[in-house]
Amino acid sequence: MTFWLGLWEAVLIIGVVLFAVLAVVVIIGGAFDIRSLFRSLAAQHRQQDEGESE
Amino acid sequence: MDALQKIAAESNFSTIDWVIVCVYLFGSVLIGLYARRYIANMADYVVAGRALKTYLGLATMIGTEMGLVTVMYNAQKGFTGGFAAFHIAVVAAVITLAVGLTGFIVVPLRRAGVMTIPEFYEKRFTRGVRVLGGLILALSGIINMGMFLKAGALFVMGVTGMTDPTRLNIIMTVLILLVLLYTILGGMISVVITDYIQFVVLSLGLLVASAIALNKFGWDNMVNTVVTHRGEGGFNPFHESGFGTGYVLWMVMLGLVVSAIWQTAVMRACAAESTKVVRRIYMWSSVGFLIRCLIPFFWGICALVYVAGHAEFKAILLPDTGQPDPQHTLMAMPLAMSATLPAGVLGILTAGMLAAFMSTHDSYLLCWSSVLTQDVLAPLLGERLTTRMRLIFARTFIFAIGVFLLLWGLWYPLGQDLWDYLTITGAIYFTGAFAVLVCGIYWKRASTLGAYGALLCGFGALLGLKPLQDLLGVEWATEWVGLSTVAAATVTMVVGSLLVPDRKKEA
Repeated sequence: MTFWLGLWEAVLIIGVVLFAVLAVVVIIGGAFDIRSLFRSLAAQHRQQDEGESE
Repeated sequence: MDALQKIAAESNFSTIDWVIVCVYLFGSVLIGLYARRYIANMADYVVAGRALKTYLGLATMIGTEMGLVTVMYNAQKGFTGGFAAFHIAVVAAVITLAVGLTGFIVVPLRRAGVMTIPEFYEKRFTRGVRVLGGLILALSGIINMGMFLKAGALFVMGVTGMTDPTRLNIIMTVLILLVLLYTILGGMISVVITDYIQFVVLSLGLLVASAIALNKFGWDNMVNTVVTHRGEGGFNPFHESGFGTGYVLWMVMLGLVVSAIWQTAVMRACAAESTKVVRRIYMWSSVGFLIRCLIPFFWGICALVYVAGHAEFKAILLPDTGQPDPQHTLMAMPLAMSATLPAGVLGILTAGMLAAFMSTHDSYLLCWSSVLTQDVLAPLLGERLTTRMRLIFARTFIFAIGVFLLLWGLWYPLGQDLWDYLTITGAIYFTGAFAVLVCGIYWKRASTLGAYGALLCGFGALLGLKPLQDLLGVEWATEWVGLSTVAAATVTMVVGSLLVPDRKKEA
């Protein structure tokens, strides 16, 4: 039982620390990606409109 | 007053918490609706124009997979299984990481340029396999999410202390209507934006709430409570008094399914900008897959400590003889949360969880309606199904599934842990899909007949449902029913392919 308890304690600590780092990175990077997604979609639609008008 | 109402009546939910919840939810809906202006075609609607980059892909993948329902069923597993439940998190993380490193299944799917898994079936086999695969996938997925609304209602009841069933039903109906509104109008673009917001609130909320819970209950106290109430099986996942070896093997299968075969996760791979992004999303998501189980398990153990110290709840949730009602153990975590967290923090976390509830619904509604439109109707109607008609059908399916969820949530008696219900209803699809996808991608001789047989084998998983077992007068463990169905589907796929190979492949 001691082995399992030690293992689960280590898993919990490592998991929480990794997730805290990941959360900060994803929150910042995700905000930039949203801006990029809107720009990319707008560009796709402009190209589509130009193609149709030609 | 029945047991559920007795449990719910203990909540500390205050007016400030209600205000936070309302402002947050309506704000999310407005932002989701804003995304409507970017929808021009079906690819924008279903896979956000295939323009998802790594961080947003990660946020939306974790956001979808870390919903209220996930937190509820995992907390229930922590409550009933103790620390041994952590093995589910470790297995899920290791397998997701392995999928990211190897690109197993997901990279070939992204390379094939498909939007759904059944679309791959048509490319690899025939149109008929696609239609059958699409039907089974949608059926399994819709029944699978049939308990989501009930889980959400139990959460609201446990956290807010609202015991009036009429008011509870009204709140759940309003939530589902809000989801329907922005999913129908905004499609995948709304989904990724609202998933991102949810990721921000929920990831911070989970970490803060866990720190408060650890401080309140104490690690040693948690260990001692698990020793007292769960014994060796509360720590060692292979111990037969707890999960047992069969269950661990079933979780290995589930880890692969959740990351690489379940359509909602695969949709993110299909929406990624490139195969490189797919791999990166999966590698990083392994941390999300670990934590989405680990923190709720931890909360479930906190709930065990809380209940063990409360004579009235102990009589209901930890009875001396027999098993407690699974609906009651589902409420243990929200009950402990509402008694532990301070006002404000409780409101933010509840708002995050309800947003997560809506986010899971929007992803799943979009997913199953897309499958029904793209993989069942489109192959059957062909050219007659215009882009405009596809959008109309997808939106109609979303509405119809929403109505089904309301009815099924009220009618179906759960009778087993929510996680086990979800695994077995999902297994109707994924047991066959596993065999068809793996053989279809990696084995040249895989044939159409083998694929049909494997997909149909999935219905064997229904035998794992408790109400059906009660009807048949049998008692079979969920994990063995699931593993047997996987084996049957794989054998059928291989034997069927060897006996009746596809003619064009032979030529």
